[in-house]
Amino acid sequence: MKGLILKDLINLKSTFKMLGLMITLFAVIYIPQGNGFIFGMIILMFAMMVVTTISYDDLAKWDAYALTMPVTRKEMVLSKYLMMALLNTLGAVLALIVGIVGNMIMRQSFSMEILVIIGVLYLVAFCYGSLIVPLIYQFGAEKARLMLILSALIPTGLILLLTQMQIPLPEAINPLIYLFLLLGFTVIMVSGSYLISLRIYSNKEF
Amino acid sequence: MTNAIEIKNLNKNYKDFKLKDVSFKVPRGSIVGFIGENGAGKTTTIKAMLNLVRRDGGTIEMLGMDALKDEKKIKESLGVVMDGCNFHDNLKTGDISKMLASIYKNWNVQLFQNYLKKFNLPENKIIKEFSRGMKMKLQIAVALSHEPELLILDEATSGLDPIVREEILDVFMEFIQDEKHAILISSHITSDLDKIADYIVFIHQGEILLDEEKETLLSKMGVLKCGEEDFRRLEKNEYIRYRKNQFSFEVLVNDKVAIKKKYPETVVDGVTIEEMMLFYVRGEK
Repeated sequence: MKGLILKDLINLKSTFKMLGLMITLFAVIYIPQGNGFIFGMIILMFAMMVVTTISYDDLAKWDAYALTMPVTRKEMVLSKYLMMALLNTLGAVLALIVGIVGNMIMRQSFSMEILVIIGVLYLVAFCYGSLIVPLIYQFGAEKARLMLILSALIPTGLILLLTQMQIPLPEAINPLIYLFLLLGFTVIMVSGSYLISLRIYSNKEF
Repeated sequence: MTNAIEIKNLNKNYKDFKLKDVSFKVPRGSIVGFIGENGAGKTTTIKAMLNLVRRDGGTIEMLGMDALKDEKKIKESLGVVMDGCNFHDNLKTGDISKMLASIYKNWNVQLFQNYLKKFNLPENKIIKEFSRGMKMKLQIAVALSHEPELLILDEATSGLDPIVREEILDVFMEFIQDEKHAILISSHITSDLDKIADYIVFIHQGEILLDEEKETLLSKMGVLKCGEEDFRRLEKNEYIRYRKNQFSFEVLVNDKVAIKKKYPETVVDGVTIEEMMLFYVRGEK
């Protein structure tokens, strides 16, 4: 298991380097404008990387080979979810650092707002991963990516429709409630997604 | 002598292809050549042994353990090389060693390094820059470096030049010096098997046609070249397959000594595994 995660990290080494460059660039451009957009960028970029690792595996026909080693199918799936958690956490920590450093440079006091934005994005990243990993196992990386873009359009369309029809969105009594709701939703998403992925992967023939 | 692999009545059904009651053994201390044309079922059989595909029937034992129940234990002592390189392009040999050290209990860094040196594999290049021969040698080095008892090789020598192939065959011969070890090697480069195999298992359209010791096979079987008249005189049970040329008949006979005795005026040549395979697949009964 440790070996599988190590392999993913080594494979991502060049991606990490490029990402570091991009983040620095974005930080220089967007922090002076006081734009929260950069946090989303960082976390999203890290969240996408689990897909990259699966694409790399496909390219090398790695999975069939790995299963000739003392590695169970369960460990294969679990390693991807651990990888996802690791990458998302890395993204969130990095976003936080950029936020804090940005605040220091701009001589502002650190606002709770940044923490909440990053927290929410962190959870959303997990939901995103939970959606895409089983899709990849079922349909392959290329098709799954397309499906995810399509499925992102549905909720967006729905929200647009709601605002068009001027149905009032529920007022927040306490914004913390939303955060906890999201947290609960994420936990359910991740565990459900893991079970589905495991099922698909266990039945897979190579 | 115990068996390293024992397959009984293995069945696997696909829509357009079937493995039908595949059974054979790989005794310890021996190399078994698994031959057959493309699509005959070699890779499917191997995949079923490794539980990469689900089987529809039969039992598989490896190293005295059940392939389903003791999968993980078996795979600790199993080295597998499949057709092609399965390591990611950006890895270096050092990365692979680090990774596999935490996958295999018995990973032997020193042994791996010795093989890298022996095969002249560079340590500072990424896999992407390896030639096909180097990639194959790397896979074989990996398969040997956790001190396995059993090697399963699926087309491990295809696409390699004769010099590299011989180098690798030597390594296999060395591996088999330990009486506990065994190798199952599927290949359609039958000249390799002429050199190293102790047994030949021949699969055709999902069925085992032949499973015999190579020496007996090659010493008994022969190719009779004759005209139509002579061919007509042969009994049905004296030959296995025949092929008709424009002017003559080539007949694969199962006992060349007996045929020579019975028809002293005829010419009976020895046979190679390749010729035998061609007779079975393309010849007529």
